[in-house]
Amino acid sequence: MLARELKKGSAELIILSIVEARARHGYEISKLIEARSKGEVKFHVASLYPLLYRLEERGWLKGRWVEKPGQRRRRFYSLTAEGHGVLEQQRETWQKFVEAIASITESSHA
Amino acid sequence: MPNWTKEIESRLGSLRLDPTREAEIIEELSQHLELRYLELRDEGVDEAAALALAREELLDEQSLAVRMRPLKQSNTSPTAAPGAPHGQRGRIEDLKQDLRLAARMLRKQRVLTLAVVATLALGIGSNGAIFALVDKVLLRDLPLPEPDRVLTIWESTEGTPKSPVSAPNLVDWIDRSESFEAIGAYPPGVFTMVMSGPDSAETVPRQWVSAGIFEALGVRPVIGRTFTKEDDVARSRLVVLAEDYWRTRFGADPAVVGQVLRLDGADYTVIGVVPAEAQLIGRTSLFGFRPIRGYPEGARRSYGLQTIARLKPGVSPEVARDELARIAADLAREYPTMNAGRSIAIEPLRDVVLGTDLKRTSLLFFAIVAFVLLICFANIANLLLTRNAARGNELAIRSVLGADRKRLVRQFSTENVVLATIGGLVGLGVAAALLRVAPQLIPQDLLPAGFALDFDWRIAAFCAAATVVVAALFTFASARQVIELSQTREGLSGTRTVTDRSSRTREVLVVGQIATAVALLYGAGLLMRTLIQVDGVDPGYRAASVLSVFVDPLATTPEATLQFYADISAELEGQPGVDSVAWTSDLPLGGAFNGQLFFEVAGQPVEPAERPLAGAQIVSPEYFRTLDLPILAGRGFDERDRADGPATCIVNRAFADRYVRGVAIGQTVLRWLAEASSDAPITCEIIGVAANHKIRPDDLVDPPLVYTSLARRTLDDIFMLVRPTSGDAAALIPAARAAIAKIDTQRLTSVTDVRTLETVARDATARYRFRATLVVAFAGLALLLAMLGLFGILAYSVQKRWREYGVRMALGARADDVIRLIARGAVRLILPGALIGAMLALGLGQLLGAMLFGVRAFDAVTITVVLVVLAATTAAAVAGPAFRARRVDPVGALRSE
Repeated sequence: MLARELKKGSAELIILSIVEARARHGYEISKLIEARSKGEVKFHVASLYPLLYRLEERGWLKGRWVEKPGQRRRRFYSLTAEGHGVLEQQRETWQKFVEAIASITESSHA
Repeated sequence: MPNWTKEIESRLGSLRLDPTREAEIIEELSQHLELRYLELRDEGVDEAAALALAREELLDEQSLAVRMRPLKQSNTSPTAAPGAPHGQRGRIEDLKQDLRLAARMLRKQRVLTLAVVATLALGIGSNGAIFALVDKVLLRDLPLPEPDRVLTIWESTEGTPKSPVSAPNLVDWIDRSESFEAIGAYPPGVFTMVMSGPDSAETVPRQWVSAGIFEALGVRPVIGRTFTKEDDVARSRLVVLAEDYWRTRFGADPAVVGQVLRLDGADYTVIGVVPAEAQLIGRTSLFGFRPIRGYPEGARRSYGLQTIARLKPGVSPEVARDELARIAADLAREYPTMNAGRSIAIEPLRDVVLGTDLKRTSLLFFAIVAFVLLICFANIANLLLTRNAARGNELAIRSVLGADRKRLVRQFSTENVVLATIGGLVGLGVAAALLRVAPQLIPQDLLPAGFALDFDWRIAAFCAAATVVVAALFTFASARQVIELSQTREGLSGTRTVTDRSSRTREVLVVGQIATAVALLYGAGLLMRTLIQVDGVDPGYRAASVLSVFVDPLATTPEATLQFYADISAELEGQPGVDSVAWTSDLPLGGAFNGQLFFEVAGQPVEPAERPLAGAQIVSPEYFRTLDLPILAGRGFDERDRADGPATCIVNRAFADRYVRGVAIGQTVLRWLAEASSDAPITCEIIGVAANHKIRPDDLVDPPLVYTSLARRTLDDIFMLVRPTSGDAAALIPAARAAIAKIDTQRLTSVTDVRTLETVARDATARYRFRATLVVAFAGLALLLAMLGLFGILAYSVQKRWREYGVRMALGARADDVIRLIARGAVRLILPGALIGAMLALGLGQLLGAMLFGVRAFDAVTITVVLVVLAATTAAAVAGPAFRARRVDPVGALRSE
């Protein structure tokens, strides 16, 4: 239950961080999440895409169809300037949260 | 290969997606499932299991729709046009988002935004207003239909290439030529008539015109008709009203046509009303009819008419000129004594109406305002570059973290475009406001009548164009800077190289600003000195303060008029505080002579065609005493100089010195109305020589002048001069009015133009004052902006080098050393600026040449004053940052990073 709540709250942060470095398509995003979380976190198609579309509607992500020679066109998602701001903010919040948890748990060790 | 389309489609069915969008989603999700399926197959999963696992990605039937439903795209209005291209909508969304971001940024940096908008608004607004003037004077045609067809025709001789025209010659041109649709004429100069009602009199400006003048201009009557050839033959007394006068005085009553007005004691019938454009030939309320036919043949030598002609469609000016030249040659053969050697010249009416002085003034203003606009741009560019540099860290971090550079550039550009647009809009308002107050600021005679400076779409287009240029420039500059800043990872630690490069740009901008300001200040200084010179011109008379009143009584007989003046004089001179009262046809510094005659001195004949012109002024005996204008030799007028006495006159010193050999007193002056006239001359004997007085403040040489006694030649349009025993003559205004009212029991005399001679002198230099004031104001603005630019640079560099100063002071430098460092930085910018500015100034001085009086284009005094002003303001700009640097606390500065 807790895992699900955590995942829901952090889903946006996860997606934004994944596309921060460069634009990526949906399948790539889902594979990267899976790989980086060593299989701990996984998004299904039915949840990943509505989330991408939502971030796009908020103006944090921008989706663009890209055609490469000899391939079918694919939709790539990149971070907008606003998305950058949001990411930095969420990252900071998350960091603080993690630190807070860490210090709470550490103090229990002490 | 499985086909996922159906599966996904059925899951999206309950949503209200735009069909194009739906197709995109299906495509995207199918791709994903397909890749998943292929991956599973690669891993060795069998086909059925791979299909099932891939399908699992979609979870249950409802999941996708449930998660999609809250989205905007799942709720498109069914009325939305299906298939609207998404690309466009996306772009609009992006734009909206950029605008939101820009608005937020500009709100956050309120001071910067205000500074930029105010600077831009001032720059664009003042340019827009001046553009209105330039547009009217230099770019646009006269406000007449097909203005290219309208010409002025001059008579022309070898000595006078452009002379006014005589009525009989004009009539022959009209009757014999084929090239023109209409030709009309008018004697130049608007004078007044007294319009008397049952119990009042008012003075109305009147311009005499001939038949055909309105047709030549292409002006159609608003109501009624205009003058015709038949009127010319009948020589009837007719007037046409100017539209604005008809509206204000007659309440736009159409019944005015046919009405009879009593003007200067005679009855004139109103036959029509003409629109404002007709006033191109003179600012007037009435156009009185002046016949040009039926004059005696001798009038062929009386050249007093200005002509306007309209070419027939398709006839070129050259053809018309050749035809008229042929007619003039015929006339020269037919009237050899009067017309020998006389030909014609033509000139577009535009060139006649808009004189070179006006064109030069407009160009000067435009050049100066354009310079100021450039300084404004430089200042704003400086502000924005500084601001961007301050955001350098943010930019660098974002680009290191993978921010899309294009996106950054776009965001900065949006901010700049928004700034420029706001500035442009406010500037539009400033231009409109300036044009609203312009009529009060510009001297009345600067623009021809019928020329109003109004705010129209052309001004708006000009402001819009300026805004676009500004936006483009800023965007380009910022884009370059953003790219440079985001390219460098050193951004994280103070970005040495990039800030160096952009501070260099800023320094160049400041040097340019200083140079421009110096040049403008120099021009302003020259025009100021010119104004001081013309204001300080010795008018010639010594009276400290004299009141002048224009009196226009209803004329009966010369005797009655003279008595009327004498009664007023006697009444006024009996009042306390009045020293003397005099009457004159012309005012010193009044701008022009009322009349001029060709003359020679008896016994010193000159070629008839070479006879010089002298002003002809008519004065009462008290004139010289009232103005305190000394009689240098002989005597002034007295009771001996009567209508039935010997013909006497007084000449001024310029006349005596230049044209009379030997003692002037006792010699005879011969005068003619027209040049080369063979009529009997008007003769008079010189009884006195008076000191010179100025007619125009910028006359380099005093014009010769012949005075005639008022008793010999009585006028009924005359100036009354009243000199107080002491103090300001304006205090005598009530007494003067009361005296006239007491004598003029029937109230038939019009009294206008009540002002002191000091005011007359001021009005005479209004043009110089206007030019000087405007240029000084703009030069001041330029200096202020340049100094703000300098201040900005210094303040910024002090802030940047705070730590360095701290280190220096920690190592033993004193506060004075730090100040010296800053001052050196300022001098490094000021010196090249001043140098380039001085060179520009010399060029500007040359361009101003024709507008200067009593000052040379290279004026050491002015350049010195400019450099002193520059030094003083520089000190002020340096003081702030230097003061701040003095307080550097070495420890604090070192610890600050």
